[in-house]
Amino acid sequence: MYRRPNFYTSYESESQMLPTYTKKVVALLAVSIMFLMPFSLPVIDQLPFVRFLGDGNWLRPMATVFIFAIAALGLNILTGMAGQVSLGHAFFMGVGAYTGAVLGGSPGGGLWGWGLPIWIWLPGAGVGAALVGIIVSPVAVRLRGLYLAIVTLGLVFVGIHLGNTNWGKKLAGDPGLGRDFPTYDIRLWKEDKPLVDVDNDGHWLWFDVSDTQKQYLFLGVLLLVFILIAKNIARTRTGRALQAIRDRDIAAEVMGVPEFKYKMIAFATSSFFAGVAGVLFASLAGKLPATQWSLVLSVEFIAILLIGGVGTVSGVMLGTFFVVLGPNLVEQFTVWLSDRIEQGGPVGSVADAILTEGPDDLGPVSIATQTPGYALNVFDWNLVIYGVLIIVFLIFEPLGLYGIWVKVRNYWKRWPFSY
Amino acid sequence: MKKLTTRKWVKVAVPFVTLALVAAACGGDDDDDAASDTTGATGTTPSVETTPSSDTEPEGTEPADTEPADTEPADTEPAEPTEIATDFGVTDDTIRIGLNADLSGIFAPLVTQIVDGQEAYWEIVNENGGIAGRQVELVVLDNGYDVPTHLENYEEMAAESADGVLMFSQSTGSPHTAATAEALLADDLLAIPLSWYSGWADPAIGENVLELYTSYCYESMNGLTYLAGANDASTVAIIGFPGEYGQDGAAGAKLAAEALGLEVVYDGEGAVVPGSDQTPVITELVNAQPDLVWATVNPTTLAEIMGGAYAQGLRAQWSGNSPTYNFQLLATDLGPALDELYTHSTYTQLWNSADVPGMTEMVEGMRAKRPTAPVSDVYIVAWTEGYATQQILEKAAANGDLTRAGVVAAAKDPDLEIDFKGLSPNQTFSGDPNDYIVRESYMYDVDMTKFTPAGTVSDDDAGTGFTLLEGPFVSDTAANHDFQQACYVPEG
Repeated sequence: MYRRPNFYTSYESESQMLPTYTKKVVALLAVSIMFLMPFSLPVIDQLPFVRFLGDGNWLRPMATVFIFAIAALGLNILTGMAGQVSLGHAFFMGVGAYTGAVLGGSPGGGLWGWGLPIWIWLPGAGVGAALVGIIVSPVAVRLRGLYLAIVTLGLVFVGIHLGNTNWGKKLAGDPGLGRDFPTYDIRLWKEDKPLVDVDNDGHWLWFDVSDTQKQYLFLGVLLLVFILIAKNIARTRTGRALQAIRDRDIAAEVMGVPEFKYKMIAFATSSFFAGVAGVLFASLAGKLPATQWSLVLSVEFIAILLIGGVGTVSGVMLGTFFVVLGPNLVEQFTVWLSDRIEQGGPVGSVADAILTEGPDDLGPVSIATQTPGYALNVFDWNLVIYGVLIIVFLIFEPLGLYGIWVKVRNYWKRWPFSY
Repeated sequence: MKKLTTRKWVKVAVPFVTLALVAAACGGDDDDDAASDTTGATGTTPSVETTPSSDTEPEGTEPADTEPADTEPADTEPAEPTEIATDFGVTDDTIRIGLNADLSGIFAPLVTQIVDGQEAYWEIVNENGGIAGRQVELVVLDNGYDVPTHLENYEEMAAESADGVLMFSQSTGSPHTAATAEALLADDLLAIPLSWYSGWADPAIGENVLELYTSYCYESMNGLTYLAGANDASTVAIIGFPGEYGQDGAAGAKLAAEALGLEVVYDGEGAVVPGSDQTPVITELVNAQPDLVWATVNPTTLAEIMGGAYAQGLRAQWSGNSPTYNFQLLATDLGPALDELYTHSTYTQLWNSADVPGMTEMVEGMRAKRPTAPVSDVYIVAWTEGYATQQILEKAAANGDLTRAGVVAAAKDPDLEIDFKGLSPNQTFSGDPNDYIVRESYMYDVDMTKFTPAGTVSDDDAGTGFTLLEGPFVSDTAANHDFQQACYVPEG
């Protein structure tokens, strides 16, 4: 029985977080690469894609990936696990951001801010969002599907409107310019010199680290914590109750799962994740206007779940990578293509067929800023690719990138009898 | 089991796919191919390390930058004829200038034209030998009108390595520029904002933000003064977006109304929320029946409000801050009403509207470099950003200091007066802001007969539908205003 997959002798072994030896090794490797990636180390430098992403210019997008992943994990609890579609995720991120800003932000200029340290404002942002989630949930738990989506959609607009009210401006600052958010610096209390300085270049252990690298590492640790929380929720009574509600709410109630209570828990947990991610996002930017927490942001999380695969942590991670880094990669690819044209050869002529370099050149992708002809520029193509991908995934691969991986894995697992 | 959830998903998600298409702008973007790629190898070695004043922080050795291929020693090059200190974004043959611009967000239609215009401008500069013997390379990144993306781009271009730029000849958007204002100071970088908030001139807010032309606030004072004089008016309604744009414009309009003795019959400062239902504002306007309306909104919102009020019988004279109006509105049903009632206020000359050297240079330059580009007024913005950047950099080179700090110093040099060659009033940035800020603006009559819907820059008759009424002019209110801080001071 030793090392036979899918054969479990106890519930504990079946519900392990990393059930197989291979998974443990892969997880360990992934985590070490994640943390060593920003540094110039002999082995890491040899890994092509890792070397590329670990480069200075990519660290900030990578940090954004981590934050988005935390928020997406939260939405995954609500949508993937409990089956409740929410378009209000951006609103809860905003609630978290401003709770955090009031707790940790600097006062002055008519803005509220108490200047508390990060160990208060970071969880506080999550708790604040969770409380708002609980307040909203009595309405939300009575609805599902499209109706719930519309109600939560309303929250986003309510939020943006509140930002324009007078007390909203005390929270969010000027509607056009935004307000400052607290930095990641770790302090015991309000002392001047932080215990751990995350916002300036410095020296950690054996490494010289820049501010961007510090933020990346800090967010990486937080992401791991939230992955553990999300994974654990799935393995508990709560997780099973939520899945029962998702699969058939009436059947779940008949079996004694209190629907109202568990939907409320799902809303609160999901909002907690969103709140923490919201304040981290705002804090990374430093200054944001209230319009940031818009429908666009909510839709991006729906896209992450759809493309990555609903209901699994790995799917969420894949989806976040894809959605957040996708546009950057497409642009990088275009740059690469235009370099190939200069070099010529067969690759060069393919690149030439794709790119439009002047008014008389044919090709669907234009590298000019202004494109009066039919060719679209890279930025427009990004929008097209994004939309097409969502459609393609919905039609052909509803389980998302994660589903593709499972299929590939199963093919080789059963090889040569994969039919 | 899985099937059911999937179906539910399809039902719920399909309506939003369309939304996602429109809304996908949020993703991070970066791109540096858009400009002419001049040279592959850009050496990290500063050519002449004299660096008199540039305090370039040692920067925690950035382990990420280890491409050895990038270090091409300058020893193969002959010694520089004039000793010019450099640090980041400048090599012996290249100067890198950054544009952190909105190429896919809500202002993309205008900003892509501005960026295109700047690219044309620098192509001409490069053909004429560049700046201090160096070719100018533009680094254009798209911020998608998204603050976090803007910051990502900023970090990339502010890098203290060969990847960095010397200054930003454009930084699109107020919240975006505000989010980088402190970093600009810390990194010794200059940025020309695409935003005309009066607060930028206040060193406490925008020390390294070089606002070109006048601000919303002074534009409102001049515009309202002109309108009142031309129409024998006694009442005015003021409407605008909440925030630094709408409320700065409204602040100026109120100061002017007070000075002119105009009665403000409807104060809609901050009442126009973009994207929401404008019926309440329209109703207030129609009930108030003002002689004049001063608006600080965007073209779509203007069309909605002005069209609504017009349909209900309001025949006031309208005007507003740039960019409340766009000449493309003439192609809509509102065209005749705009022709009759709207007066356009701007900070600069408009396309082919004046016989000044800058206009000739710009029109000929665009015709030579972008013959098929659609006709537009914003190329003037591109050209003036180009003039300002070029003259600042030439001044820095003349001072022998093309470092980032040297460029900042050059911009604030008392000897430097930026010459816009008649496209806009000349400008300096040294001394007390109250002494140097620009207070002049222009008023244009909207004229349907001068509008060609699909004209290109090469077309002699192509026009954007304007006749100059007055400008550059300054009203007494603007001239006498004591600038100590922004007209509208937001909380925060």
